[in-house]
Amino acid sequence: MEMNGRRKLRCLLAGAAAGILNGFFGGGGGMVLVPMLENLCGVEEKRAFATSVAVMLPVCVVSAAIYALRIGIDLRAALPYLAGGLAGGFLGGVTFRRVPASLLRYVFAALMIYGGVRALL
Amino acid sequence: MSAAVGALAGAACGVLSGWGIGGGSLLLIYMSFAARMEQGAAQGINLIYFIPTSATSLVFHFKNGLVDRRCALLAALAGAPLAAAAAFAATALHPDALRRIFGAYLIWSALRLLGKKNK
Repeated sequence: MEMNGRRKLRCLLAGAAAGILNGFFGGGGGMVLVPMLENLCGVEEKRAFATSVAVMLPVCVVSAAIYALRIGIDLRAALPYLAGGLAGGFLGGVTFRRVPASLLRYVFAALMIYGGVRALL
Repeated sequence: MSAAVGALAGAACGVLSGWGIGGGSLLLIYMSFAARMEQGAAQGINLIYFIPTSATSLVFHFKNGLVDRRCALLAALAGAPLAAAAAFAATALHPDALRRIFGAYLIWSALRLLGKKNK
């Protein structure tokens, strides 16, 4: 897709919003970034999901460094999640193209509702 | 909470992260509400968790030509320094205050989604 000045600005804006949220909450940037990439930057739905992963990786590296320096990160407590996450991330990458975009949207919606309900309880 | 359950939760969220669907947010909710971790500690682990998880899935996304490279580069250039500033602000807050703000953020996200569905 053509990258004119306006689209560049929109990509910067989407990244800025996702970065602020992800840095502050330690996650959740992707939930904001995916719809912004689609609606603001004109990235097709499935590419938006993949592109958001590419954006959130460096954002998380920088944020994690700040958390580690400021309050420390318990790597021992993180190990089980990391081990599971590696396997899950691999599976997610392999199966990504076989998952219909509509299913991605429903799973995405269900996750957000779940988070809201848990916070209300 | 056993390590096995944590690994299972990590794997399930890893699949969703690989699909770019907020798996990290779900893990954060799990650690905060089920494993009852302090909010700041959970957020730090969640950030560390996302790095290898997303890196493995990203290899496939690049290989399959699914990443809009220029858009990703610009978004990352804007997002990374602001994420650092936001992380600095979050780690300066009391964990309880951070947890309450996180809860409000989740409710806002859910309401925003419901609003979209009603259109």
